[in-house]
Amino acid sequence: MKCPPFSYHRATSVDDAVAALAAAGGEGKILAGGQSLVPVLALRLARPDVIVDVDRVPGLDGLELRDGVLHAGALVRHLALAGQALHPLAAEAARWIGHTAIRSRGTLAGSLAHADPAAELPAVLRACDGAVHVAGPSGTRRIGADDLFVGALQSALEDTEMITGVELPVPDAWGFAEFARRHGDFAVVSVAAARFGDRLRVVVGGVAGVPHLVDAGDLATVDGEISEDRVAILAAAAADDVDPADDLHGSARYRRALTEQMTARALEQLTTTVREPA
Amino acid sequence: MKITLTVNGERHRVDVEPRRTLSDALREDLGLTGTHVGCEHGVCGACTVIVDGLPARACLMLAVQADGGSVDTVEGLADDDGTLHPLQEAFSRCHGLQCGACTPGMLMTAAHLLDTEPDPDRATIRAEMSGNICRCTGYLGIVDAVADAAAHRRARPEEAS
Amino acid sequence: MTPTDEHAPASGTPVRRKEDARLLTGRGRFVSDLALPRMRHVAFVRSPVAHGRITGVDTAGALEVEGVSAVFTGEHPAIAPVALRAQSGLPGYVETDQPPLARGKVRFAGEAVAAVVADDRYLAEDGAEAVVVDYEPLTPTVCAWAEPEHPVHEEAPDNVLLSRTFRAGDVDAALDGAAVVVDRELTTNRHGGNPIECRAGVARYEAADRKLTFWSGTQVPWIVRTQLAELLDLPEGNIRVIAPDVGGGFGVKAVLYPEDVALCLMAMAMPGTPLKWVEDRVEHLLAATHARDHRYVLRAGFAADGELLAVKADVWCNTGAYSVYPWTAGIEPLMAGGLLTGPYKLTDYECTVRGVATNTSPSGPYRGVARPSTVFAMEALMDSGARALGLDPIALRRRNLILPADIPYKMPSRLVDDSGAYEACLDKAVATFDLDRWRAEQSRRRTEGGRPIGIGVGVYNELTGLGRAASAGPRMAFRTGHDACTVRINPDGAVTVFSGVTSQGQGLETTMAQVVADALGVDYGDVEVRYGDTDESLWGFGAFSSRQAVISGGAAHLAGEHVRGRALALAAALKEAPVEDLDLRGGEVYMAGQEKPIISLAEVARVAYLQSDRLPEGFEPGLEGTKFYDPIRGAFAAGAQIAALEFDPATGEIGILDWVCVEDAGRIVHPVIVDGQIAGSIAQGIGGAMYEHLVYDEDGNLSTGTLLDYLMPTAGEIPELRIGHVSTPGKNPTGVRGVGEGGTLAPNAVVAGALADALGVEVDDLPVTPARVWELVNP
Repeated sequence: MKCPPFSYHRATSVDDAVAALAAAGGEGKILAGGQSLVPVLALRLARPDVIVDVDRVPGLDGLELRDGVLHAGALVRHLALAGQALHPLAAEAARWIGHTAIRSRGTLAGSLAHADPAAELPAVLRACDGAVHVAGPSGTRRIGADDLFVGALQSALEDTEMITGVELPVPDAWGFAEFARRHGDFAVVSVAAARFGDRLRVVVGGVAGVPHLVDAGDLATVDGEISEDRVAILAAAAADDVDPADDLHGSARYRRALTEQMTARALEQLTTTVREPA
Repeated sequence: MKITLTVNGERHRVDVEPRRTLSDALREDLGLTGTHVGCEHGVCGACTVIVDGLPARACLMLAVQADGGSVDTVEGLADDDGTLHPLQEAFSRCHGLQCGACTPGMLMTAAHLLDTEPDPDRATIRAEMSGNICRCTGYLGIVDAVADAAAHRRARPEEAS
Repeated sequence: MTPTDEHAPASGTPVRRKEDARLLTGRGRFVSDLALPRMRHVAFVRSPVAHGRITGVDTAGALEVEGVSAVFTGEHPAIAPVALRAQSGLPGYVETDQPPLARGKVRFAGEAVAAVVADDRYLAEDGAEAVVVDYEPLTPTVCAWAEPEHPVHEEAPDNVLLSRTFRAGDVDAALDGAAVVVDRELTTNRHGGNPIECRAGVARYEAADRKLTFWSGTQVPWIVRTQLAELLDLPEGNIRVIAPDVGGGFGVKAVLYPEDVALCLMAMAMPGTPLKWVEDRVEHLLAATHARDHRYVLRAGFAADGELLAVKADVWCNTGAYSVYPWTAGIEPLMAGGLLTGPYKLTDYECTVRGVATNTSPSGPYRGVARPSTVFAMEALMDSGARALGLDPIALRRRNLILPADIPYKMPSRLVDDSGAYEACLDKAVATFDLDRWRAEQSRRRTEGGRPIGIGVGVYNELTGLGRAASAGPRMAFRTGHDACTVRINPDGAVTVFSGVTSQGQGLETTMAQVVADALGVDYGDVEVRYGDTDESLWGFGAFSSRQAVISGGAAHLAGEHVRGRALALAAALKEAPVEDLDLRGGEVYMAGQEKPIISLAEVARVAYLQSDRLPEGFEPGLEGTKFYDPIRGAFAAGAQIAALEFDPATGEIGILDWVCVEDAGRIVHPVIVDGQIAGSIAQGIGGAMYEHLVYDEDGNLSTGTLLDYLMPTAGEIPELRIGHVSTPGKNPTGVRGVGEGGTLAPNAVVAGALADALGVEVDDLPVTPARVWELVNP
């Protein structure tokens, strides 16, 4: 289990990284914290020609709240995200990622770019209807959460693009629930729920190739309080809306049942986490 | 690629392929075989070291990424005169090790835990140590040892370093 | 410290482990750590197909890779003549060959097909990627109870390598006379040892003197030496096997693997170049031995009062692609048939066991060998019987346990149980657990709400320290039973012990030092133990079957006593004192009735080695002795575990609320090491019961090929275990009973029993995962 050979470029800036990716002609790969990429390399499941290491690019580790949106740099570590109070849902979700030694290195953008459908932060990005800022050879662009995740381990990023920053709108109320086999494991099913005004977004991880945004129709419109009955109805609606597959850790039926349970838990938490008026 | 690593306070200049992991650089290039490798995909925790003050999986970090940084490994825990670190003492006293393969990672994880949380309860210890797999002990001795070392450290803060 | 304290026995106290100083400071001596001049590294090319003919191997590309110095295939002249052939004299056993590198055919996904030698492991893996192998696929067989389309081995068209029926009494007549008959059909989940240090070896061959040194993370260095001598056609004395610190074993490293043999053969083809192979985790999951892939079809009859009258069983054990060397395909089935009835009295028994080849990684010894499955099977029958009879499951077990009055008890498989401590263990476990409290909590939750609680129980016997009579079953080419120990008093009076033990974490360096210190009469701190090197110690069969504390410990005790006798005789002659009045304590020789020592052991030793002028006539110089010990039968260890688990019917989530284990380890040499063995083995048992599962798809590909899918429990999953003891000394020099495996035996039964107790659903297939719980509750 040793990485295949590659050449290595330690980027000094975003422009430098983008230029290095462009020079690699689609055979480059961004390395930041390495918590997702290095195992893939060690298993020789990927063979990039060039590793572009952005781990030390300055200015990408900021956390700033502007107009109700958390603007986070690409290199914000999970540990930092878990420790901040500006976006409590992101903080809560980040605490579920792996273990301290993973959270100390893993980065927000790395997790989003890796696009594991069972990972915590992609679900949060989607629940908050956030977006990523991307730099590439033809300039920068913004990709909304609903468009970022294309399939399992597939994002809308081009091979020559990198995420530079993340927008995470701060919900008025939020909830997060996860069912994993062991402490720190990827979720079997996770649910991130966020309420913005009267709009509720519930996203389920682990049930599809991408974090699944529940289509709850009119149910997604709420006015403040969510009653116990409403939680149950929404949880059932979420379970109806997902279409998971059978795998090693459970049948489709089981994942559907977990979706209902985790949605209920997340919504119960959501009813207790109303944001204080600023 | 030539890199500089400060390991346990000692500066080393080594020439590594970019693909070499930090764990392999420590073990193969610096001869510091105390850091063990158990899975090479970031799950078992045996290779846990402290990089620039924070625990990290040495198998998930390229050595070139640690260039210019400081790395603390199990070899640096005891004093130069052989006096064991309170955690090492506690692991021995509480039988927190059997074969010793997971032990370096356990010690480094626990060392960071006690640095950040001097008075952890057993549930916290179990949660924080859950990124390190031990096949021998059933974790009983490990949890005992971390709790014991924490108590020891609180009782004699001057020995904490 | 008073003088009495100084001379207190080391045994029975938690002395500081001798291993700890180096293992805690990163100065262990693991094979993985070894670096030798001119050393090169090996990577194996492994088959991606489960079953197929090899139609071509092209190594040219690999030889072009920078740093690659050689590529070996199964057809290489250095490799081709050799095959591992696990032998047994059992009637009907089908012997088959296992090549060091596949020849002609591959039989499981992960089988080594070629090996690449390069300057480092990275380059070796680059080379391995460049080897091109063509396969013509054959239909694989994955399940041991399915009809094969293409047999794994031509010699066994039905894939059955071994079958044996254990028979006692008249089981059909006994079933006819039973008040209730219960049937269960169970499968247990394939899983494996996964020590944190994977397999590792360094082989170095010097052509000038035809000497091979093999550093190996093995549990059985002497067996490895004997087998290598045979396979490599070298005199046994030309081979040195060294097992230094080994990072866990659990049975997986009690096997001589094809990779080991290939490494040695390649080293012989490259004299003067040490070759190193360290298995990575993916290789371990793919190709180190697996275990516990079994099916049990069971019928049991009970009398109305709960007496167990009959057990009839059909057992299939998935042997994998090869009969594991040198233990044979019999290892799991013979253990299953021999010990299925466990701690329960039974006269009418019939059990047919089979070892069936499939296109999966070979099965081999793993902590508890077969008995985690058989205890699950037997306890499932007990629980079903109790339900059918409306009896309390613990009362039903008590009704049938082998009691002290029954000892020696001949089991229906004719093994002789010398324990009888089962009821004592069960009683103490139930009391420690506080069964009444948990039953009350269980009914409180039933009426007031809360997650349902179930109580599970498992009682078991562990055959440990097998002597020659207890090792007869497999009829292998060798018969285990004894170990040797040499005790040497050095000229300064300190002691060096050359023990036949090997240690993979069990603390045997410490335990042997304690035993020798006490037998000899010296301080624990003055004893150094050398082990794991066939050039240093005389003989040991190694670490398996929880045998070393009993057998090597017995040899250590006898050797210590023997040398003590010699030292005292010399002291008596030197001091002109009657030897029967002398005592050796704490390295000093005392005369009865005198408070001060008359001579130190150091002075006696100085005479024995350095002062021939003082050596009395008739005394041979030196102070050393070697003894073998064989317990002839074995020492049965008893155990009982009981636990309370809660289940969330909505998610299947399982919580362990309390877990108690009481074992009879006989006399205890090191209490903390013993508890560590028990806790560690329970944790592995819980892993097998709830988490660990090696899953093959129908094409024979391993679906759980990384630790992201093969889940081992962490500190977050293993509960605060509560461990207790009863102590009935075994009939051996130190009175110990083996303790390494018992803990693994009960968790399957405990978890499954607790689930049935909580939710009224019988679980037939392991592991008990949240998904399985949920499926059972929501059929």
